[in-house]
Amino acid sequence: MSTYVYGITRAGHPGLPEELTGVGDPPRPVHLVRTGELSAIVSEAPEGLRPKRRDLLAHQTVLSEAGAGGAVLPMRFGSVSPDDEAVHTVLAEREKHYLERLDALEGKVEYNIKASHDEEAVLHHVLGSNAELRALSEANRAAGGGTYEQKIHLGERVAAAVQAQEKHDGQLVRQVLEGHAEDTNPGPESTGWLANVSFLVERDNSAPFTEAVDALRREAPHLVLQVNGPLPPYSFVE
Amino acid sequence: MSVVPAQQGGGGGGTSGLYDVLELVLDRGLVIDAFVRVSLVGIEILKIDIRVVVASVDTYLRFAEACNRLDLETGAKKPSGLTDITGDMMEKGASGKTKGALSGAAETISGAFQQARDESQSESKPRARRTTSRRKEEQE
Repeated sequence: MSTYVYGITRAGHPGLPEELTGVGDPPRPVHLVRTGELSAIVSEAPEGLRPKRRDLLAHQTVLSEAGAGGAVLPMRFGSVSPDDEAVHTVLAEREKHYLERLDALEGKVEYNIKASHDEEAVLHHVLGSNAELRALSEANRAAGGGTYEQKIHLGERVAAAVQAQEKHDGQLVRQVLEGHAEDTNPGPESTGWLANVSFLVERDNSAPFTEAVDALRREAPHLVLQVNGPLPPYSFVE
Repeated sequence: MSVVPAQQGGGGGGTSGLYDVLELVLDRGLVIDAFVRVSLVGIEILKIDIRVVVASVDTYLRFAEACNRLDLETGAKKPSGLTDITGDMMEKGASGKTKGALSGAAETISGAFQQARDESQSESKPRARRTTSRRKEEQE
């Protein structure tokens, strides 16, 4: 029977909530496998496990529950060991390294921030801060919208200004927020965001970080900031 | 799972959630060589692309039209760059907008997860306007 591994924690972890279940249908019971000073959070690995939304969610939920009791190194979804014995071997081999990472992540959580522009607001912003664009826009409007060429000309200029603003705001988000975080890592490669960044924040002292996010929203109302957290520190385990 | 439409206006904080978290579950986290990883072929986590400005004639025309409609003299989204703006108005506009975004953030993940549970039955149905995850085979 193969073993699904959710994460690694210290052997001294206070334990998992009773009846905590994980991946599979029906969901498999989750338990700890201890080796020396470490424990792995595991369950039976269901046959034919696929990255179904329900299972992804179960993985995340187990880690959130376990993380509430002490530092956990979250595994990436879908890590399956041939058996419990192989889990023991892995933990024993890299015990020192994992303990060091657990120390570094004790009491820390991840916040992932994704930033995009509110289109109307950013157009307001770039027109408002660029008199030339504003004049072009007003000329077009006075001409009932302008000719095709005039529209293209204005639109191209505006698009360039918005792109410059995207770059500027991406840097702004990183700069402002990294000052309130213990560590920073880029989020997974995904297109469409002007910033996708994960921040490592103290679980019991996250207010300065979230307040910085709120302040940024007030100062730059053309920015749309999506906050996801607190999360297990997925982006900080390596 | 609520889908964030491309080019959506408004605060939009509440429409994030499930996908944005699962991206991390799939793409980050500890990988141990001795363990096998479940195949991610046919991954059901889907994402929206095209949110940044794409330099194209369509975009230019869209922006030109949008600028034409913009009322720079009034409105909650009046930019700070305009000199005749009153601090009061800005405050109002910003807080209205921030409120939407904030209440979205406050939902954090629990709401999104509940939503996902509710929808898990329909998870195999593909939807329009989404493209598959950019998760690549070679990364496994």
